[in-house]
Amino acid sequence: MAKEQPNVFDLLPLLESTDLQDLEQVKSLLQENLSTDKGSLLVHGLVDYYLDTSSPQAVDILSSIREPHDKHLLDKMNECMAKQGCRLPTLTLLGHVVRKQPSWIHKIPRFPLLASLLKCLKTESDIVVLITGVLVLIIILPMIPQTSKQLLFEFFDIFGRLAAWNQRNPGHAQGVYAVHLHASVYSLFHRLYGMYPCNFVSYLRAHYSMKENVDTFEEVVKPMLEHVRIHPELVTGTKDYELDPIRWKRFETHDIVIECAKVSLDPKEASCEEGYSSLPDHVPRRPVDHSRSFSDLSSHGRSSFNSMATVRQSLSLSLPHLTVSQHACLSPQTPSLQGAEVTSSGMKEALWSPSSVCGMSTPPSSRGMSPTTVTDLSHSASHLSGRIPGTPVDGKWTPSASTPSGSSPLPSLSEELEHTVQTTSTTLPPAKANQEPIKELKKGTPTNINSKGVAADGLSPITLTELPDFVKTTERDREEDAITEELRTITQSKVDLLPKPALDSSFSSTTDSILPLNPSNDVLPCNLASTPERATNPAEGVDQHPPLSFWPCFTPIENSFSPCAADDPLVELSKGTCPYEPLFDLALPRLACLFVGKKMVEAQQKAGGHSEHREELEGEDLSTTSPLEVLDRLIQQGYDLHEKVLKRSPSLSSQSSESHSGGKHHSTKGKGVSPGAPDELALLRSQLLLLHNQLLYERHKREQHALRNRRLLRRVINATALEEQNNSMKAQLRLQEVETQALRVSLQEEQQRSKNLHQDHEALVQQLHSQVQQLQQERNEYHTKTQELQSDLQESQKRIGEMEAELQRANNKLCNTGHLLSQLSIKLNSSESMEQQMAFLNKQLLLLGEANKLCVEEIQRLGPEADKEHKMLQACSAREVERLRQSSIQQSQRLEAAQQRITDLEAQLTKKEHLILEQKKLLENVKSQAKGQLQASENRYLAQKHVTQALQSELLQLYSQIEINNLANSTPAGGTTEPSSPPKQSSNGNNTGPSTPAQTSEPSKREESSYMCVNGDLSLGSPPLTALINGSQEEDLSVLSCNSPLDVGSCPSAQSFLGIHNQELLNKRKSQYEEEPAPLISLSHGLQDPSLEPADKPQLGTSTEGTAAQALQEPPDLQPVDRPRARAYNIQRRRQQDLRIMDYNETH
Amino acid sequence: MAEDLQRNFRSAYYEKVGFRGVEEKKSLEILLKDNPLGILPPHTDSHPLVARYRQEQYEDVREALKAMRFVHAATPYTELYLRMHQLENQKLMRRSELTQPGEEDEDFLAIARAMEEIVDDPVDCYWLIRCFVNQFNHKFGDSIPHLPKSLEHFLSQEDSRLLAHLKTSGSLVLLPYSLWFRRCFAGSLPESSLQRVWDKVISGSCKILVFIALEILLSYKIMLMGTSRPEAVAKFLSNLPQENTDAIVTKAIDLWHKYCGTPMHSV
Repeated sequence: MAKEQPNVFDLLPLLESTDLQDLEQVKSLLQENLSTDKGSLLVHGLVDYYLDTSSPQAVDILSSIREPHDKHLLDKMNECMAKQGCRLPTLTLLGHVVRKQPSWIHKIPRFPLLASLLKCLKTESDIVVLITGVLVLIIILPMIPQTSKQLLFEFFDIFGRLAAWNQRNPGHAQGVYAVHLHASVYSLFHRLYGMYPCNFVSYLRAHYSMKENVDTFEEVVKPMLEHVRIHPELVTGTKDYELDPIRWKRFETHDIVIECAKVSLDPKEASCEEGYSSLPDHVPRRPVDHSRSFSDLSSHGRSSFNSMATVRQSLSLSLPHLTVSQHACLSPQTPSLQGAEVTSSGMKEALWSPSSVCGMSTPPSSRGMSPTTVTDLSHSASHLSGRIPGTPVDGKWTPSASTPSGSSPLPSLSEELEHTVQTTSTTLPPAKANQEPIKELKKGTPTNINSKGVAADGLSPITLTELPDFVKTTERDREEDAITEELRTITQSKVDLLPKPALDSSFSSTTDSILPLNPSNDVLPCNLASTPERATNPAEGVDQHPPLSFWPCFTPIENSFSPCAADDPLVELSKGTCPYEPLFDLALPRLACLFVGKKMVEAQQKAGGHSEHREELEGEDLSTTSPLEVLDRLIQQGYDLHEKVLKRSPSLSSQSSESHSGGKHHSTKGKGVSPGAPDELALLRSQLLLLHNQLLYERHKREQHALRNRRLLRRVINATALEEQNNSMKAQLRLQEVETQALRVSLQEEQQRSKNLHQDHEALVQQLHSQVQQLQQERNEYHTKTQELQSDLQESQKRIGEMEAELQRANNKLCNTGHLLSQLSIKLNSSESMEQQMAFLNKQLLLLGEANKLCVEEIQRLGPEADKEHKMLQACSAREVERLRQSSIQQSQRLEAAQQRITDLEAQLTKKEHLILEQKKLLENVKSQAKGQLQASENRYLAQKHVTQALQSELLQLYSQIEINNLANSTPAGGTTEPSSPPKQSSNGNNTGPSTPAQTSEPSKREESSYMCVNGDLSLGSPPLTALINGSQEEDLSVLSCNSPLDVGSCPSAQSFLGIHNQELLNKRKSQYEEEPAPLISLSHGLQDPSLEPADKPQLGTSTEGTAAQALQEPPDLQPVDRPRARAYNIQRRRQQDLRIMDYNETH
Repeated sequence: MAEDLQRNFRSAYYEKVGFRGVEEKKSLEILLKDNPLGILPPHTDSHPLVARYRQEQYEDVREALKAMRFVHAATPYTELYLRMHQLENQKLMRRSELTQPGEEDEDFLAIARAMEEIVDDPVDCYWLIRCFVNQFNHKFGDSIPHLPKSLEHFLSQEDSRLLAHLKTSGSLVLLPYSLWFRRCFAGSLPESSLQRVWDKVISGSCKILVFIALEILLSYKIMLMGTSRPEAVAKFLSNLPQENTDAIVTKAIDLWHKYCGTPMHSV
């Protein structure tokens, strides 16, 4: 790529090569490069190259640039827009690109280029740039209809700025510029008003209600407003609806252009399509407006009529095949109808007749209704849906346009047609006019011919006069290119246009409708005015205006224009016009005279001073002049001047180098400005540029129209095809009808035949029926006969039956008799045997009777005795049995009773057992209760006993203490200590081991224990108690031992001797044991005095030593003598008693 | 399932209430016929009379003790109970020879203190103590010395490691056996737990004491394993923390059930 780049850039200068082949190669190379390279370099290079050289080849390449490069291109242009110097070429380039209408053009609002363009238009002061920009903007607008509100207001602002340009910057723009500017503003006005009427009108209302803008409005905008009709959108639409993308989706660019043109009243701007035809400029506007509104109204009535006419036509079309005589009858009807329609209302007639006339005169039969129907339908469409641009009825006139190209009968026109068909259909009308007879003949519709003959008599000469004129021009310009051809056709149409108003004012509308490209055609000749051959037409146009005396309202134009007129004297004018005068004479016989006369007057006036002229001009209705017209005139003027200058002074070499601009130069130079100045040149250059721009703009417009026309053409072709199809279908239908007819006839024949056959058949049937009846009768007869025969047969059969029955009966009788006979024989036999038996029996009877007699005798002999005994026995036994039976009954009864009783008893027994059980239970209960209670009470008792025991022991202890205390008090200390100490010791010893049972082998110990007992220390220990209890003898021993310790303790030395005595004493005690209780009781009585015992005890202790032998020797005397001992014993005794009680308790 | 269906449908409820067997009526009757402590006879008709007897007996003994000046108005009930018990068992010493309470007396006093907490009425209390102690000594007096052996046996089954530890540390010998087995945990367990133990004891099982002891050992195993000083072990076991005793008792009862079967059979 990097390598290629320089190569590509090197190629750029080659674009200017003159060699066509090289150029082609270079172009294709560049295009290829563009298609492969996505970079922006080449595009930038191309743009730069264009800016440098303004090469048309570069424009060609740039304007055909494809999608990915559009961004580069637009960005680059945006860049260039920023530079003051590049602005104009950039705008021109943009204009080129935009006019090419590339596929990506809708994206332009997204690029900054649009914004910068708008900004430029808002801020730029160079009028050339401004005009170029505005034209570009006007072209862009229909391509990007879905603008935002923001953008829209910017457009409006631009409009406002430019409209007020002359007011705001007086003198800034020179005359020619002002005209251009005004023209472009005018176009912008139309575009904005056509596209966004509500928004635009509201903007105008807001903007021009301001005081500072009032004068601008009065001077600039108001005249513009006079060139537009009320936009239907102003009634039905809203501001928002206008900006609705959905609304714009239905429109293509050219649709929008046409829409804008529709609302214009200016023939230069307006579209002639679809009834929006505008009147030629020389006709006053306002009346036309009125008439148009009327035509709109009447169109409804017409449409209904036309539909009728078409129906009739179709009828007449279909009928001729069958009956040729019919169209003669129909033909007068249509004109009469038309005539009725025409005469119905004067106003209508004037408006309607042109269309009908047009229909009759120029186009073929099918086209006869086309103008009206077109308007009708377009009107109705606009009424219904508001904005359906498609005009399906348009096709009605295109077939006529297309068909001649293939089948034109005039060879003289074929050449011309070859050219014209390419351009537009508008060039065709003359050809059509020539064709129409043939066509009409082809179609076989005499109505049109008739009507034409009736209504369009006055028109045919005009068309005829047109033709030679047309032919002439075409012949002359044969070598010209397509544009010039186009131009020529337009001039031709102008020729058409001009005479018509002179002849019939109403006819003008039809010409308009036939020539929809009028406005663009008006402009084109002006642009192409440089070609000298064209001089006739512009001259004619220019010449046309002055006599009609329309003058621009702009003073600058006047300034620029009037000098031209003033500068060049009468001669120039007359010279310039002279060569074309014959043409005028040919084309406009009446106007030409008027024009020449006027010219003369004008020239005279100009010679006198142009102040008069101005006055005269001011008298005119300035406001009605279209700025475009002014522009046209300006250009015309310039051209005229140039022409004159060329003719008058060809010697001026400096100006002749550039003939076109030189002319201009001259004209401007003629204004009185210093000649040869470079400013002038620049001015002229810019003017040229402006003109070029204007031309391009108009061309673009024309292309849009062409586009639209092509589309319409396509629809027309489609419609024709459909019509053809329709016709062929109709033909088919007709054929089929004939066929049906034939079939019907054959059907009838067949029916007839079948009827005959049917009749024959019926006759046959009848015959057969009679035969059948006959046969039936015969059959009936036979039937009756057979019946008779049968009855006979039956009778005979019956008789046979009877006979047989009789036979049977006879046989029966025979049989019976035979049988009876045999029976009788048997009976006879039996009776015989019976007789024999009888005899035998009689004999027997006799024998028995005898025997009986014998027996009776025997019985009588025996007597009654035996019988009695037997009876007695029997009775006896019976009685016995009876008795036994009774007894058994009794027994059983008894048994029952016994059993009853047994059961009763058993029941009682069980009851008793229960009772016993209960009792037992109760007893158990009571027992347990008692046991519990008893236990408790026993417990209690035990406790009581223990308590008393404890109390007793306590008591005893207390007693002992008291005794000891008393002893200690009564006896001297030495005496008392001895006996008192052992008890204490013993008591202590008792505590430690009290339970050692006393042993007889150790008396000393036993004495101790017994002593211990005496002291009553044994309350706690039970073993000593048991020991005491167990041995009653031991008690004695212990009692004895009570004494013995005293002895032993007192005199241990004499133990051996005393021991023997003790043994003896013990033995004695055993024997004496029974006797002791009594003295013991007495002792116990004695003991009751407690105070005595302690007193005795010491006595005992003291006296024992001396009286021991005595006591042993005299035991009975012991009581009185040894009282203390007795007392001690008593204590022992009482204790024993206690123990015994206790023992009793315990044992229990 | 079949067995379940055959079982009394109330068994679930019974078990919830605490009866283990379904045929509780019989065991209840046995229990009711039984006279566990013999304070009141089973026959309800004689209750008032017997109750009166008991009260009178209590009064008499108390009055006697008062008369003997063993007790006075300010004497604590436990001592009164002790004296009464001594008196009734003829173990009361003479007042002049009163000595410090012996081991047996201390056991009695501990039980008395626990019982005093349980029962409000002094008469009932005394009778309960008296009968409980008598019955305990009478019934289980012979088996108590064998309980430590039994404890060792069950401990070896439950946790031989602990036993080994106790043995090696020498704590086994020094465990508070008298507290556990002679006082029946009186003073060791709180009353609520104690009641449950004593219920078992009263109903005739002294084995429960072993299981309580076992469970105590198991519950404080970590503590016991931690210390090797027998004195500390003994001290700790003598002053058990009071919070977890219910759970210990429940577990112990379970153990008891495990080793000795249902309470009915163990009686």
